[in-house]
Amino acid sequence: MSDSSFISIQRVAKHFGPVKAVDDVSFDIARGEFFSLLGPSGCGKTTLMRMIAGFEEATYGDIHIDGQPMGRIPPHKRPVNMVFQNYAIFPHLTVRQNIAFGLRKDKLPKPELDSRVDEALEMIKLAGYGDRGATQLSGGQRQRVALARALIKKPKVLLLDEPLGALDKKLREQMQLELRALQKSVGITFIFVTHDQEEAMTMSDRIAVMSEGKALEIDGPATLYEKPKTRFVADFLGSMNFFDGTVKSAEGGVAVVTTNQVGEITIRNSDHQPAVGEKVVVAVRPENVLVSGEQPDSVANAVKGKVNAAAFLGDRSHIYVSVEGSDEPVLTLMQNLGGAASRMGGEQHDVWLHWSDDAALLLPK
Amino acid sequence: MRIGSTKLPISGLGTYTVIYLAFIYLPVLFLPLFSFNDAIYVAFPLKGFTFQWYEKMADSQGLLTAFENSVKVGIAVSIISTIFGTLAAKAFTRYNIPFNRPIKGFIAVPLVIPLIILGISLMVVLNRAGIELSLFTIALGHVVICVPFSMLVMMSRLEGFDKGLEEAAQDLGETPWMTFWRVTFPLAMPGIVASLLLCFTISFDEFLLAFFLAGDQATLPVYIWSQLRFPNKLPSVLALGSCILVASAVIVILAELVRRLGVQAPKEGQ
Repeated sequence: MSDSSFISIQRVAKHFGPVKAVDDVSFDIARGEFFSLLGPSGCGKTTLMRMIAGFEEATYGDIHIDGQPMGRIPPHKRPVNMVFQNYAIFPHLTVRQNIAFGLRKDKLPKPELDSRVDEALEMIKLAGYGDRGATQLSGGQRQRVALARALIKKPKVLLLDEPLGALDKKLREQMQLELRALQKSVGITFIFVTHDQEEAMTMSDRIAVMSEGKALEIDGPATLYEKPKTRFVADFLGSMNFFDGTVKSAEGGVAVVTTNQVGEITIRNSDHQPAVGEKVVVAVRPENVLVSGEQPDSVANAVKGKVNAAAFLGDRSHIYVSVEGSDEPVLTLMQNLGGAASRMGGEQHDVWLHWSDDAALLLPK
Repeated sequence: MRIGSTKLPISGLGTYTVIYLAFIYLPVLFLPLFSFNDAIYVAFPLKGFTFQWYEKMADSQGLLTAFENSVKVGIAVSIISTIFGTLAAKAFTRYNIPFNRPIKGFIAVPLVIPLIILGISLMVVLNRAGIELSLFTIALGHVVICVPFSMLVMMSRLEGFDKGLEEAAQDLGETPWMTFWRVTFPLAMPGIVASLLLCFTISFDEFLLAFFLAGDQATLPVYIWSQLRFPNKLPSVLALGSCILVASAVIVILAELVRRLGVQAPKEGQ
């Protein structure tokens, strides 16, 4: 066991009848890593987490934590604690009793127990709330209590099952930063399950993007966003324009793809080495598509279109441009610098879209 | 005029409500009334006020013994049925049991079997098995009909709270058994109290099974039935009935207060 395979998931699968909820997944998680399982609902992320916690038994495959095979070890004997989706705070106990719940077996003398609980209350900024009933807490406070209750056990791994889903946007963003800071300070390995790609990218060292029971890609947030290897990941993280096409030429790292929607697209420095004649997908991030009123000079890729709709989001605008030959409008993102949005022409306004040859990605179909 | 036309059905409902309530409660209220009446016969006009029937009741050894028997059986039945009912409810709500629907059906069957059939068949079986009829056999019969009630009460309670709470307790290092004691049991407490009271009440006034399964020890309903042949014993029965009425009203009110207390202020669990 090395630090880079502190948690090792080896060919793990979980079948519910004919449904393969988790389908032969393998990866390692490093000691102290903030690792996210990201995917849409039903992708198997929660099932995989529940297998790590011991609430589900794998149909086949092995999970090792710190070199120990987990096999049939029941949940209460695993060096793992969990923050549940709806927090699962015990409603019949006080905040203090909730936090101390997992320490009963340690048989600590009362002063030590009290001081550890006080410490935990301090950590979650709820000092003075100890004697309140658990049902008197707000959503954010419950979330903190669930966190303290799990962390006081000093687990080797903390599992978090969409713990921020029930909070409002402001509080959620604040908790994301707090969680991240907390994880760095306690140095415990976190496995975080979420369907929110922004949340996963904000907090994680690495993300496993899951779909239909498989871990499609595992990498750091920036790499996954900038260099996705599959259409699913490209689509799931952020927004993306896709153009289907056929490779016309591929020489010296420069590929030209003939697309049905926007004519020829030139792509430089693609990870994917295409063969001439191969069916591929070209992907371009909206923020890489620039809009101008006149035909731009000397750019690799340019196409003419009409503004179809514009969504004003305050700091930026999403502008949908219809392009001849394409059913779906091309999405572009415009930073609202100095009121650019209000200077933008209205609907049906003719514009040119253009992007550089290293802005587009070539993905296998 | 539209106001008048919407008012009409409400006053119709009001009349219905009054008749309905009178039909249910008026006869019951005659019980205490006649228990203070200074006459053997239950008939108007009232003759005068007396405590003699209460005194006679307190003197009647047979009646007191029957009352004691009923309480004994009721307590035993409510505890045993609630244990079985809780275990069954936990199994059905928490585990994936094969054939759980037919099994649930079998447990619930005594709810729909006529008690007279159940009583006769239990008596025949117990006789054949050589088991002497006694309070024990009455309790046995009552457990059969109380377990389904208890199971239904406990199932609705257990379904009402998040399964994640039990998982959280195990996640925090508790065995399934300790999880039950530290989480499931305290949270199910209001249901358990409700089940105990319900089973006690069912057992306490059950007549048919008790009639068939009683040996020489009668429960209260069986004793009362046997006394109805003697008109001069009736007023004492009325006196006893009044006492039971007051006692059960107090118990039900107490139980409801305890239940609300449990809902509003979560109690300390340790």
